[in-house]
Amino acid sequence: MAAEELPSEFDVVILGTGLAESVVAAAFSRVGQRVLHLDRRSYYAGNWASFTFNALLTWIQEHHEESQPEEVQDWSSLLEEGEELIYLSTRGSSSITNLQVFCYASEEDEEEEAPNTTEEDQGGDDEVKETPETESADSNEEEKKQKAGGTPAEEEEEQASQTEGEEPTTSAGQSQSEPTRKKISFAQLVKEGRRFNIDLVSKLMYSRGSLVDLLIKSNVSRYAEFKNVTRILTYRDGKVEQVPCSRADVFASRQLSVVEKRKLMRFLTSCVEETEEQRAYNGRPYLEFLCDQKLGDNLQHFLLHSIAMVTEDTPTEEGLASTRHFLRCLGRYGNTPFLFPVYGLGEIPQCFCRMCAVFGGIYCLRHSVSCLLLDKDTNRCKAVIDSRGQRISCSHFVVEDGFIGADWKREATPTRYLSRAVLITDSSILPSDSDQQVSMVTVPPIAAGCPAVKMVELCPSTMTCMPGTYLVHLTCQSAGSAYQDLSPVVTRMFRTPESHDQESSPTVLWCLYFNMADGSGLEGEGHDLPNNVFLCSGPDAGLGHEHAVRQAQAIFQKILPEEEFCPPAPNPEDIVYDGDNNSPSTPGDGETLEGEEEETPEGEEKVEGEEKEEKVEGEVAKEEKVEGEVEKEEKVEGEVEKEEQSLQTEE
Amino acid sequence: MYFACDLCIPSSYKSGEYPVFLFSMSMEDYDYLFKIVLIGNAGVGKTCLVRRFTQGLFPPGQGATIGVDFMIKTVEIKGQKVKLQIWDTAGQERFRSITQSYYRSANALILTYDITCEDSFRCLPEWLREIEQYANNQVVTILVGNKIDLAEKREVLRQRAEDFAESQSMLYLETSAKESDNVERLFLDLACELIQEAKQNKLDNNDTAPMPGEGKTISYLSCCNLN
Repeated sequence: MAAEELPSEFDVVILGTGLAESVVAAAFSRVGQRVLHLDRRSYYAGNWASFTFNALLTWIQEHHEESQPEEVQDWSSLLEEGEELIYLSTRGSSSITNLQVFCYASEEDEEEEAPNTTEEDQGGDDEVKETPETESADSNEEEKKQKAGGTPAEEEEEQASQTEGEEPTTSAGQSQSEPTRKKISFAQLVKEGRRFNIDLVSKLMYSRGSLVDLLIKSNVSRYAEFKNVTRILTYRDGKVEQVPCSRADVFASRQLSVVEKRKLMRFLTSCVEETEEQRAYNGRPYLEFLCDQKLGDNLQHFLLHSIAMVTEDTPTEEGLASTRHFLRCLGRYGNTPFLFPVYGLGEIPQCFCRMCAVFGGIYCLRHSVSCLLLDKDTNRCKAVIDSRGQRISCSHFVVEDGFIGADWKREATPTRYLSRAVLITDSSILPSDSDQQVSMVTVPPIAAGCPAVKMVELCPSTMTCMPGTYLVHLTCQSAGSAYQDLSPVVTRMFRTPESHDQESSPTVLWCLYFNMADGSGLEGEGHDLPNNVFLCSGPDAGLGHEHAVRQAQAIFQKILPEEEFCPPAPNPEDIVYDGDNNSPSTPGDGETLEGEEEETPEGEEKVEGEEKEEKVEGEVAKEEKVEGEVEKEEKVEGEVEKEEQSLQTEE
Repeated sequence: MYFACDLCIPSSYKSGEYPVFLFSMSMEDYDYLFKIVLIGNAGVGKTCLVRRFTQGLFPPGQGATIGVDFMIKTVEIKGQKVKLQIWDTAGQERFRSITQSYYRSANALILTYDITCEDSFRCLPEWLREIEQYANNQVVTILVGNKIDLAEKREVLRQRAEDFAESQSMLYLETSAKESDNVERLFLDLACELIQEAKQNKLDNNDTAPMPGEGKTISYLSCCNLN
């Protein structure tokens, strides 16, 4: 198979399968361009990828090993008259740094040796800090005690020894009062590794954001399933609290007084439209605006950190804009403005790749481009030479930022980094009736000078972690290394050997810290590129996907300004096959694509399933409700108490 | 309009836990909907099998799959309407670059090789590894040896393939998309098997509910409950 030769002529060659590159690939292929899509890696999505636990361990190992520059081969024999050869970077990606792994789960179910180090730790990389040996010894002692206590631990399932057994710093006294929980060992994480889909980048999809709109518009959405983020949480005064953001939440909230509820609803109503009063605050901090609204500390915290998700010095107009965006997204698909793809974010670029392939795009992983052939006169890239020395001509070349040599980059602005942490924990940060919550958690700076942290907690039903665990992603703009930036938050909010007085917090079984280059720093204009070569940056720090989608659209429109960006793919059920020529009509042929236009799925209209009957009629109203809902508030103020009472009786 | 699609919404989905689909599927009258996914080396005849089954055509003609995501055929089995959604690789198998998302939520996999091509048979363990990695646990896998019309060029003995299939607990069938041998049977057998699985799942649901996100196929758009 692998011996098969690639065709030697394409309209667009794309190197890298991150989100922006994949959207570009789908967009070009969809309008009939011949696309070759390559990635040097053996997996899709680059820094946007999701890995099983085992694949993540491999990824970590690969990044620990000093990446060997590939031998630079001399392809100058392939040069033609008037051409110049430009080599791409042969180094592995330098976009990931400061990898640190900590394993707090015991190594084996029954084994007593060295429970606190993973294979990677033992690999002896200097970047990996091992948990102090003394502590791991303690942990062993405790485990022994617990087991001596008579817990029947013959089967993994029956191994009901207490969680504290693996918690070196917890005293035996405390452990007695804790509820019994199943203990998950490192061996189990590995065994159940395929149940994990661990995202390198942590983002959510705004339900009215550009990615959701694009998925619906292009029909790429049919390749994926999504779940609602079920709640917004925030960390405040050492506690995790739920942020009431939808009307239902506000009424149901127990933390808010009736007065606060009224104030909040009135505020949310008033900020939907821009007022003179708001304009007066332009240029001044949003915090100041909020203060002057006399909302009280509670509401001010919620509005600033969890709804607007801005910092204390963000200007008012910006704060209001993100508040409005939040409110607009609220209620399209659920009680929060966010969706998350089942199986992880890495699915999304792959879905666009599938769309590209369906329209004829050719895919080849583990395959790279080693150099570009430039026409000296026109400063255009005429062809690329792939890693096997094949000359492939192309009209345009799109490449992931990480594959481009440093000599092409103008190092005017130093690369910014994101700090990331991934935790596997044994319980939710805020236990509730349902154990299948997907939570967005905003953590304001825990001390002056610390970054604000965005945290997403995923439950097993998102198909990103094994049953009995939660997957927690932390992200912030980096000030130091990921460990320096994020471990203080982890230590405060979770139980690790370093944390104190955290009996009720979730126990961290395993965690990973790393820094990733922040893609938002990159703008294509700043580089000395041939004029038909386009750069796609890696993931940015934003919570949504706006940056990548915007970038992809900009590249597409620069190359094909006349063409539509990702028009809807025909629904397979609507394609009519013509018996005479034995081939289906295909888009572009303009033949018998019945129903394509009429059926252009907007995606959001139909509700199917058991609850269909009641829902369908309410559907249109629902769409309006986001705005309408808030406006209605004035009238129903008097009903607040009533509704609240009825809610309480229901409970 | 009625909806008897039992397996579509596992009972484990309590209110508010439904997966969200961003597209609407045409609402039809059927009892079951299954997603069947084809894999195997390039050139073993995957697309031909689908085309033969869904349209009765052979050969399908080069490039005919452009823009076609999956093919649909509704069959009737014991009085029940079963809609089969059959997905092809979109050529991504050529350079061993199938997206993981292709395998997600498939109810059945048709692993195809060419009986006249030893190499396509030798690659089967590699495909099985991918299946194990990315497909859900309950997926029904059937091994298909295609091109039996070229019996004189056979390189893989039937017994060998049967033994292999058995060792991997797969069903095994030999087909000819060209002569239409066993093609109907392949898909109908699969449909029967899937109905049985679905019923079994339903029975078992009380103790071992299927994992959400696995094996359900109906589009459902979660509705906000603001009031």
